Amino acid sequence: MTDLAQPPDRFREEARAQLADERGSAAYDGVTQRLRTGRLAAWDELPDVEKLRERAYEIRMRTIDDLDRHLSAFRDQVEARGGQVHVCGTAEEARAAVVQIAQAAGATLVAKSKSMASEEIGLNGALEAEGMQVVETDLGEYIVQLAGGHPEHIIVPAIRQTAPEVAKLFEQVEGAPVSPELQELGNVARRQLAEVLRTADVGVTGANFAVSETGSICLVTNEGNAGLLTSVPRVHVALLGLERLVPTLDELAVLLQLLARSATGQRLTAYTRLVSGPAGPGETDGPEEFHVVVIDNGRSRLRETRYREMLACIRCGACINVCPVYRKSGGSAYGPVYSGPMGAVLVPLLARLEHAPSLPHASSLCGACTEACPVKIPLHELLLELRKDLVEERVTSGRERLAFVLWSFVWSRPLLYRLSTTLARFGQRFAPHVGPGRAWTSGRALVPLARRRFRDRR
Amino acid sequence: MFPDAVADAESLLSEAGFEVEFPRAQVCCGQPAFNAGHRTAARRVARGFARAFGHELPIVCPSGSCAAMVAQHLPALIERPPFEIWELSAFLAAHDSPVPKRNVGRRLAYHDSCHMLRELGVADPPRKLLEASGGTLVELVRPDLCCGFGGTFSVRQPEVSVALADDKLAAATGADALVTADPGCLFQLWGRAARTAPSLPVLHLATALARGVGT
Amino acid sequence: MSREELLERFVRNAEEARFHVHRGDPPAIEGAGVSVALHGLADTGSVVIAASPNEPRARHLLCTVHVSLLAESRILPDLATLFERLERPLPSSLSIVTGPSRSADIEQRMIVGVHGPAEVHVVLLPA
Repeated sequence: MTDLAQPPDRFREEARAQLADERGSAAYDGVTQRLRTGRLAAWDELPDVEKLRERAYEIRMRTIDDLDRHLSAFRDQVEARGGQVHVCGTAEEARAAVVQIAQAAGATLVAKSKSMASEEIGLNGALEAEGMQVVETDLGEYIVQLAGGHPEHIIVPAIRQTAPEVAKLFEQVEGAPVSPELQELGNVARRQLAEVLRTADVGVTGANFAVSETGSICLVTNEGNAGLLTSVPRVHVALLGLERLVPTLDELAVLLQLLARSATGQRLTAYTRLVSGPAGPGETDGPEEFHVVVIDNGRSRLRETRYREMLACIRCGACINVCPVYRKSGGSAYGPVYSGPMGAVLVPLLARLEHAPSLPHASSLCGACTEACPVKIPLHELLLELRKDLVEERVTSGRERLAFVLWSFVWSRPLLYRLSTTLARFGQRFAPHVGPGRAWTSGRALVPLARRRFRDRR
Repeated sequence: MFPDAVADAESLLSEAGFEVEFPRAQVCCGQPAFNAGHRTAARRVARGFARAFGHELPIVCPSGSCAAMVAQHLPALIERPPFEIWELSAFLAAHDSPVPKRNVGRRLAYHDSCHMLRELGVADPPRKLLEASGGTLVELVRPDLCCGFGGTFSVRQPEVSVALADDKLAAATGADALVTADPGCLFQLWGRAARTAPSLPVLHLATALARGVGT
Repeated sequence: MSREELLERFVRNAEEARFHVHRGDPPAIEGAGVSVALHGLADTGSVVIAASPNEPRARHLLCTVHVSLLAESRILPDLATLFERLERPLPSSLSIVTGPSRSADIEQRMIVGVHGPAEVHVVLLPA
């Protein structure tokens, strides 16, 4: 899982670059505000959103407790209708499974719709290494692909590209000038991608949920390209994380009540599609082959831990939109796939803590994420747990651990505390030059310590 | 760091008719270590809290985040029964305590400390008290938005931390003072204002109520 | 909820979802894709289209204008009711469509018709 790994200093470097980018910062302000406002209005419309959230949490946790059984039922249903399920323990196995399916189909062109799971496992590179062309057909992902970047938000990947920049990217494909007028850009994208959608040998989509009772995958989208990829290419591959299973359609309905509202503020997205197999008898379109690739990649390991609630995540982005740290630092500070609070929790869990040590601390623990999560994951509490693990697993530096140990000895004893504050008063002029003091005083004044403590005045 | 604010808190309580004890053995609830993941260190300090404070009297604290720590995490951390702990404004409001009218004619902006807002659910009491002190409350555009302190976060990601403080100070333009009920937020906002917005007084709630923002 | 209330609710929400709603005769639009809807959902103003030998999965996507024909009697209150009522086995593909295709990926401003139809109509047919 080298893709998700984050050297410790990277977050701060990327955040600084984002802070210096005025236009990028304004774009982030705009996106997060729009999506947050949308969610609040959409939640407000619901008669009892708290009750709905609790139901959603209960459904998710109950399913996670029994994942093996649901996976088995899902597989039986899919296979009964002629589809195939590939359960992959690692990212490597998942990549290999998709490559094998595509090669068996003699594919030269693979068209994709948005799938964060495919980013997580690094699928595109694996297909390209085998000589296949891979084209993202989701407008935002297409833009990011042309720009050679990574998605900066799980719902709206191309936050920072302006219309003129997009026009320039499209021109490279078009070989002719492209107007930066918005609807015109949409028409150009539609045209450029229509050929891809029509001629791709294999369509790879994500899946928001998988219903085990009916062997269906559920796709929640706004553009329509994902639907086309489940209809036109001869082979359809749906990728999803193991934790996306939902036992029944009734329970899916509860989650669908929350997903679009929490992600974009819509009651439902333009297209909510349930695919339950390859083309049925007599049907004139639809794939001959329907494959579902179920990815574990560290998820099942989490079930037995304090972090199992993170598996409830429905990837709506609500937490990302309220996070003040995300808004200022930008998505790429967290890495190429998952960002914001859900990224700060999930990436250290999937990639291992020592490979992403700064992420649990990329938070002021304000708790807005927990407040916004439709399935009530206690995100900021999970960050607190990860911080504890960093210390106990000795990923945190020996120097920091020693500093806190010393501090705790002094500040648990009233006399030593008195001594420390006296020394602090004398030492405060040195503080701006030492470690944390320096980090503080580069932007802020230090409060001058008082001559008399409160306790001495009474 | 803010002994005046503590003195102001005490004076508000005694003027409201309460007898205030200050256990001199008290030091800290352990929150800075707890939030940074240093549980053992936090536990050591938190035990000191338990030695200084008993369970007989209600404890009033002029810090939203400390009150939240003692209420939510401390009992489990040191395996003791819960303490009766109140954040200052919640206590004053719950007891209908009068406050002096020292802010007549002043426009006051109030910043919600994250822990006080989300962990204690205390949002109305400080506002009501500021209005009762004669001030006109000017709602910040996003009062719930974090000031960027976050304990060690403020020095691990200082640039982001300062950028958040800047947003908060910018939102307060036009107010006669920015008021907060948490020393962490105060440290952050006062510290940044001292560099970039020196004409905006940034005060603890206790000071704003006891002596007025014009001080 | 009475039939009339359900219908009224559907019309209101479908229009809010940017459907053009017609009663009785389908509009004559050249080149429009036309589908018979399995159900309508009142709460969200959605039409439900099931794949079948008569309804290719992509028909409601491979056009710039799409028309759904919906019998008034087939309007249900919401998604939960739809899922309760759906006959098993499910169609190989089932789409719940709530407005035109759209994206706000560029500068957070909305455009329509990427990649499905930019214009969508619902024709309500009396029971």
